[in-house]
Amino acid sequence: MLSPERLALPDYEYLAQRHVLTYMEDAVCQLLENKEDISQYGIARFFTEYFNSVCQGTHILFREFSFIQATPHNRASFLRAFWRCFRTVGKNGDLLTMKEYHCLLQLLCPDFPLELTQKAARIVLMDDATDCLMSFSDFLFAFQIQFYYSEFLESVAAIYQDLLSGKNPNTVIVPTSSSGQHRQRPALGEASMLEGVEASLFYQCLENLCDRHKYSCPPPALVKEVLSNVQRLTFYGFLVALSKHHGINQALGALPDKGDLMHDPAMDEELERLLVQVPGLVNSVTASSEASCLPSRTPSRVASPWRPLHHSRKVDVESDGSTEETDESET
Amino acid sequence: MHPASINTTRSYNDCVGQWIWERTRPEMVVSMVNCGLHLVIQTSSLPEKNKVEFKLSKDTSSFPGRLLQHDLERNYSSRQGDHVNLVSSSMPSFPILQRSSEEKILYSDRLTLERQKLTVCPIIDGEEHLRLLNFQHNFITRIQNISNLQRLIFLDLYDNQIEEISGLSTLRSLRVLLLGKNRIRKISNLENLKSLDVLDLHGNQITKIENVSHLCDLRVLNLARNLLSHVDNLNGLDSLTELNLRHNQISFVRDVDNLPCLQRLFLSFNNISSFENVSCLADSSSLSDITFDGNPIAQESWYKHTILQNMMQLRQLDMKRVTEEERRMASVVAKKEEEKKRESHKQSLLKEKKRLTINNVARKWDLQQNRVANIPTNQDRKDPDSPSQDPCPVNGSTISAFPEETGPLDSGLISALQGLSVTDTHLVEVDGDTLSLYGSGALESLDRNWSVQTAGMVTTVSFTFIEFDEIVQVLPKLKIKFPNSLHLKFKETNLVTLQQFNALAQLRRIDQLTIDPQGNPVVNFTLWKYYVLFRLSHFSMQKINGTEVTQNDMIMAERLFGILAHVASSELPQYRMISILGDARKKQFQYLLEPKGKKPGIISEENNDSKRLVGENTNRATLNYTTRDFYNEKLEEVKEKKKFCKMYIEDLVKEATEINMKNEALQKLWPQMFIELVRDAVIEIRNKNSYMKLCLQQITDQK
Repeated sequence: MLSPERLALPDYEYLAQRHVLTYMEDAVCQLLENKEDISQYGIARFFTEYFNSVCQGTHILFREFSFIQATPHNRASFLRAFWRCFRTVGKNGDLLTMKEYHCLLQLLCPDFPLELTQKAARIVLMDDATDCLMSFSDFLFAFQIQFYYSEFLESVAAIYQDLLSGKNPNTVIVPTSSSGQHRQRPALGEASMLEGVEASLFYQCLENLCDRHKYSCPPPALVKEVLSNVQRLTFYGFLVALSKHHGINQALGALPDKGDLMHDPAMDEELERLLVQVPGLVNSVTASSEASCLPSRTPSRVASPWRPLHHSRKVDVESDGSTEETDESET
Repeated sequence: MHPASINTTRSYNDCVGQWIWERTRPEMVVSMVNCGLHLVIQTSSLPEKNKVEFKLSKDTSSFPGRLLQHDLERNYSSRQGDHVNLVSSSMPSFPILQRSSEEKILYSDRLTLERQKLTVCPIIDGEEHLRLLNFQHNFITRIQNISNLQRLIFLDLYDNQIEEISGLSTLRSLRVLLLGKNRIRKISNLENLKSLDVLDLHGNQITKIENVSHLCDLRVLNLARNLLSHVDNLNGLDSLTELNLRHNQISFVRDVDNLPCLQRLFLSFNNISSFENVSCLADSSSLSDITFDGNPIAQESWYKHTILQNMMQLRQLDMKRVTEEERRMASVVAKKEEEKKRESHKQSLLKEKKRLTINNVARKWDLQQNRVANIPTNQDRKDPDSPSQDPCPVNGSTISAFPEETGPLDSGLISALQGLSVTDTHLVEVDGDTLSLYGSGALESLDRNWSVQTAGMVTTVSFTFIEFDEIVQVLPKLKIKFPNSLHLKFKETNLVTLQQFNALAQLRRIDQLTIDPQGNPVVNFTLWKYYVLFRLSHFSMQKINGTEVTQNDMIMAERLFGILAHVASSELPQYRMISILGDARKKQFQYLLEPKGKKPGIISEENNDSKRLVGENTNRATLNYTTRDFYNEKLEEVKEKKKFCKMYIEDLVKEATEINMKNEALQKLWPQMFIELVRDAVIEIRNKNSYMKLCLQQITDQK
């Protein structure tokens, strides 16, 4: 006979791990927040809308940071929302400072922490934490890595520091033979001449990390690809490589490829419509500006990079209650 | 102009000696047509001396009773000129004068040696009884040879070349001494001329008034056309009634109040520029006639009423009679002036108070902003802004016309300032159409009951040294209290992020926005202006930081942020919309919720209705700003709810999974259970007879 606990736990854990609980909690919380209004147009309607918005990724708009970073899906949605809303800023060619990007982020998430933006800027500026100007795409891709993988990157930083100071990253179980060898090297002072750490050793540690890391990590295969190209590399060098790696970008799935970053024909169309409504605008101006935008509108070419993320699929699945098959593949 | 002649009567014993003359100087004719002198010397008090009477022929009666003096110029008629023979004397250079006995009898008391081309004074012999001696228009360089004429009363040396006053020490009876148009540099050697009545020194080169204090009988002193730079040393001239000082370079006058009899003072054409420099005149009670024309002071707007106000005793000013009306006017004007001065004093006091308060607020602000280290530099920075850094010079100049009040005023101001000692932490000021608020305390002033007029007049509101987040909280009040405010100014308000501008959208109208870069880092952003234009597009702003907003700016703003608005309005789930927009706005968005399925274009068209209502683009309304404190408060509040939700969901899910688990267990058990049940039933009915028996038994038992 199966004990009730043994049966119950996987279910609950599964739901928690797939963040279904997060969304359920949030849905109820939202319902509580506005119960009078929502009860007016129907609670069933509300839940439908809520989970629809979660699927579409619009649920994170203007939400608090704790919610935005709560799930990978939320992070991806936020990245995508940021890209969609401020793509025009990048298109205009403005180079902005870290602080200004931070302001833009805050327009979508009022309590977005400065620290994250600073870290992203550091990736772009290779640790020169000065107030330099950055292009939109540089910042966006760096920010993507930093934001989406922030916990992973923190662990990576710790590992990197350990490696740099010659310590064996204690939590990582590395085959003693190889680690012993490599550990000696930086301690001998070679590191001062050769900047950074050795790539292969670094990868070993990272692979290990990926295996046991409970937060999202970049696909280990792609990390390997990044690290296989070089002998040694620095922490920021690694981050820059990550941020520029389009495979990782694709795997993450929030943003289009770098080449297509400025393309969003549906939104461009929307924008043109909005421009016509600018108060007191002379028509000729609109016409000319529209004309200038026309070439960029090639709808067929741009496949939407927005693939339905598996998390959102889970949300739908959750309602079935039959979860056993997917369970294994995810853990 | 007025030919005059002098008759000398022979009745010298008359107690009343009177002589009158009148003259005009050729060069003065044009400007001073009706200037003439009618000089009367009455010395009845000293009978034994008064044996002379000069009478002016009365063809001068065109100016009866009019006494006026400028440059004494005597115009003796030479009709009855003496027939004199000048014979070379035995002494080398001095001619000896002789008159026929007939002449002597006819004019025994007078001798006229006018226009005789004399270079020296001739020796006048046997004429000891002479009373009047006239040397006009000669070339005499030195006064000589007359010391024997001890009965001389009248000595006229007009238009000679005398360089020094001398040789007069024996002429103790001399009453009239005319030395006009000579080359005298210094007033001297008059010690013995104690009876002098008229002293004419006009047209010389005298630079200062001296050696006259013993002339207690002097009535007329003419020092016109000299080189005097100031007037003083007038003590002792107790009988002086007329003092002519025209055409000098006098810039200040003193001692006039020591002249008890002075009635007429002529100061025309000098260099007097303020009343302060002649203030002693106000203390002279006898003065009734004065002239200032041709001085800088006479050009001033305050000239007339200042003079009249300060010299109530005056009857004539600049040759014109002072009317009662004028006097009244003067006192009115003076009163006004006084008020103005008091007002300006108050103003400067306020100004200074304002400056100090602002400095204080700035200091507080800096402390608050952790900029303590550079406080001194901050103060330096502020000072040039303030209009009157040092109050004293400013006040000194504004009230210079009233020197007697300068002292008390200044010290009053200073003490008042010290009294301030700046404990104020905020400042509210309404200046014309501008309401200026300094320091966060000033925001409380919005709770005050402002008069409708003031409230209506204020079109510009300026915030300085106030956290923007604090300002946000009073914006609704501002909207109500100052409905006409069109121009907002922010300086040192910690505007850091773009989203802070969202808060301004709730106002009724903004035409102009001025964000001072000082203390507002947001201005350093490249996008801030566009964001403002975008977010506040419903105001159709005209100027941002003083720069005209162009249509291109508007397009650019839309181009940069239009999508944000679109996303915010069309993609925001309804439940989020509701929670973001407050209850107040909810109604206006009710319709927005309904046509969700429709195309966005239709939505924005419909929005036009609400645009009129709310005055704001609906697709932007979701971009709002809550202050950090409020936001954190809200998050805190939500945290509780979240906790509850978490527990609730946890319970719910646990329950659900439990039910599910039981269900599954049941599902697993059920087939076996069913089989068992069927088996039991089959076994029971296998023996039909015994089963029937049993059933019957049960039925009977029931009965």
